[in-house]
Amino acid sequence: MTTPTSTRALTWQRRGRALRTGWRSFRAQRGALAGLAVLLTIVALAVLAPVLTDESQLGIINTMSNPALAPPSGEFWLGTDENGRSVLLLTWWGARVSLLVGLAATLLSVFIGTFVGIVSAHFGGWLSAVLLRFTDFFLVLPSLVLAIALSTVLSRGVGTIVLAIGLTAWPTTARLVRAQTLTVQARPYIERSTALGAGHGHLIAKHILPGVLPLVFANTTLAVASAVIAESTLSFLGLGDPTQISWGSMLKFAMDSGAVTNGAWWYLLPPGLGIVCVVLSFTLCGRGLETVLNPRLRGR
Amino acid sequence: MTTREQDGAPSAPRPPLLELRQVTVDYQSRRGSVPAVRGVDLTVDAGQTLGLAGESGCGKSTLAMSVLRLLPRSAQLGGDVLLDGENVRDMSWGRLRAVRWASASVVFQGAMHALNPVRPIGEQIAEPLRLHRSTTPGAVRARVNELLDQVELPVARSTAYPHELSGGQRQRVMIAMALACSPRLIIADEPTTALDVIVQAQILDLLSRLVTERELGLLMISHDLSVLAACCERLAVMYQGRIVEEGPSTDVVRTPTHPHSIALAAAFPTVGDPASRLVTPRDTTPDTPPLLEARGVSVTFPGRGGTTTRAVSDASLTVHPDEIVALVGQSGSGKTTLARTLLGLQQPTAGEVRFEGHRLPRSARALRAYRRQAQLVLQDPTGALNPRHSVYEAVAEGLRIHRIPGDETAAVADALNQAELRPPEEFFTALPHELSGGQRQRVVIAGALALRPRLLIADEPVASLDASVRGEILALLLRLRVDLGLSTLVITHDLGLAWNIADRVIVMYQGRIVEEGTVEQVLLDPRHDYTRTLLAAVPEPLTGRAAATPNTTDPTRQEPTDDPTEVTGV
Repeated sequence: MTTPTSTRALTWQRRGRALRTGWRSFRAQRGALAGLAVLLTIVALAVLAPVLTDESQLGIINTMSNPALAPPSGEFWLGTDENGRSVLLLTWWGARVSLLVGLAATLLSVFIGTFVGIVSAHFGGWLSAVLLRFTDFFLVLPSLVLAIALSTVLSRGVGTIVLAIGLTAWPTTARLVRAQTLTVQARPYIERSTALGAGHGHLIAKHILPGVLPLVFANTTLAVASAVIAESTLSFLGLGDPTQISWGSMLKFAMDSGAVTNGAWWYLLPPGLGIVCVVLSFTLCGRGLETVLNPRLRGR
Repeated sequence: MTTREQDGAPSAPRPPLLELRQVTVDYQSRRGSVPAVRGVDLTVDAGQTLGLAGESGCGKSTLAMSVLRLLPRSAQLGGDVLLDGENVRDMSWGRLRAVRWASASVVFQGAMHALNPVRPIGEQIAEPLRLHRSTTPGAVRARVNELLDQVELPVARSTAYPHELSGGQRQRVMIAMALACSPRLIIADEPTTALDVIVQAQILDLLSRLVTERELGLLMISHDLSVLAACCERLAVMYQGRIVEEGPSTDVVRTPTHPHSIALAAAFPTVGDPASRLVTPRDTTPDTPPLLEARGVSVTFPGRGGTTTRAVSDASLTVHPDEIVALVGQSGSGKTTLARTLLGLQQPTAGEVRFEGHRLPRSARALRAYRRQAQLVLQDPTGALNPRHSVYEAVAEGLRIHRIPGDETAAVADALNQAELRPPEEFFTALPHELSGGQRQRVVIAGALALRPRLLIADEPVASLDASVRGEILALLLRLRVDLGLSTLVITHDLGLAWNIADRVIVMYQGRIVEEGTVEQVLLDPRHDYTRTLLAAVPEPLTGRAAATPNTTDPTRQEPTDDPTEVTGV
């Protein structure tokens, strides 16, 4: 006789198998695998930055003796900035803020979007109408302008940027989740569950959310890419935390210090390439995940 | 358009219209090659009608599509397909295009999906004409009107879009399209599957008339032996890619020899044939107080632009304990809406539903208690089960919702046992896609039984199941009544199903209940005109089935409990 615990264990075994099958079809896509590899490397480097590098070299006081805006050399592989700081070190540390803001902002926007999407699709009626108009309002609002407005009103800092991006990026997720929820809701198993006596909580937790989550997950990886770009834009416009180094703020300082006119390409290229690498690898991973979750995309 | 008919000069021994010799089709998949058709020989001549019967997945549609090489790229065709003596396999791409539609055409299943939703039907009928003949626009229009006339559609409808037509009209459009280039062979793939009985009878009449009038060859494919028997002279039964039986329709239907044909024939019972009645008739309705009662229930839906649609009007019915009642009507008669209202999934606009004398509450919280008493079995078990949930989770769902105390595993095993999924432990971790259609429906039933309801409302419980499984599920419903005293309200369009298992029949037409009584009264001596129309539309009764033929018992099942005669005896 099978006991409930072993039933549960078997269920987990099944999930493990499904995960392995998913991994196998993810692995079959070269682009996705490359994206994942690059991403993991960048994340590992960013996390280990305090261990591998000397943080004190980021302070301007400690770098007074270094040459300013020096081209790449044996000592400074990627040259120095206007204060004599190593560009390699700045780029390395800049990845931390860019990734942190990108992930946090995406989580916030995906959370709001999923909530609004499911609630508006599941409950219908006036609540849905109000939520949808609300979504439409945010959808047509130029998100960059809103983000600028928000970060000027609120105190400057990483938290503000996360909030500004999170509050402007959710409507597309909400639309997507709403559409998917409506599809799942039309399935007969929802009716069966209702006839069994299920309430809204049960329906959402057991049927709708599991049906929507894979899509949300794939969407999240894609959204991180745009959040990283949004963070860089806001920092570049000088709305970020001036005490924190991010790729966007590096580009801003490069512009301010006349690196462009001086032909200091080594100051501009690394943060730019960093943004491209992270965005590209997130996009590749996201597309790979989409293909795993939606087998119809395979071979296209 | 008449040129083709005239230039067919009567030459000496003409090859048959269609000849299949040792045709095989294999599908290449990642798991290797899967045979769908394994060595089939068939011939159809002009003016002949051949019915190809079989269950889903037996390869019948694949075989039909191989005639015009309409198979997907992953399919590999072997053997010879001779169309007018010419091998389809050797045809060039250009020749194949010319042959498609001009010599042979297809009436596809599911007219809604085979028609382009954004073009008027007249345009769509004209499409093959324009592709195959360079005629003037005036001539095309004249031909379209002629075709519409042949399929008995008003010419004015040629500007209508597919969604403006009923299912039957759409199927007529499909037939008009197939006839457009005056082909000599028509392949009809499940032409009536999505239609209800009355429309089905009209479409079958139309096809039969066209075959006799125009000397066409017809290859008709269906899972429904009675449809084929009504329309075709010869029948071939296909099973696992092979033809297992072939002969004149009457012989195959009355005295099938292959076990699979016997099961197929048994699945379409004859109304009036005592052999296919699985319950012992009762003369009177039980005098116990009714379990479920509907009094003057009306349901209206708000439509577009302030109009309202009345789905159910003033319907009253009762279901007594230990009784199986069939609610019969064609699609759109409001029977599903009424069922949903009886379950409290839909609020009535007028009237009331009573369960054991108590009026159904309106609040969701109070309805939860009622849900333990009355349970629903849906038409399509594939859709009714969450593909991500295992059988155990699906059956335990009701128990968890109602937080029923006690040993959950034992309760689930018990329910699966009652639904005859044995041994239950083996099914616990299975996912719906690993089960057959019949097993899935059993899981749905087990999920309902886990709550120990008193009443089961089954909406077309066997409509999407294969013929051989049908009998098993019906036997299960009957056994549940005997074992658990469960009352069942079966909603169906199928009068044969009502004859099979019901004690009483309620006939519904345009939202109203037009006739009610015991099965024998209503089906053998109908009073209302609509009931008579329904009965007349049932394909030619397969009367006089040899008494020696074991009816409804599926010989492929060996479990003695599956013998329905045992149930009727209890």
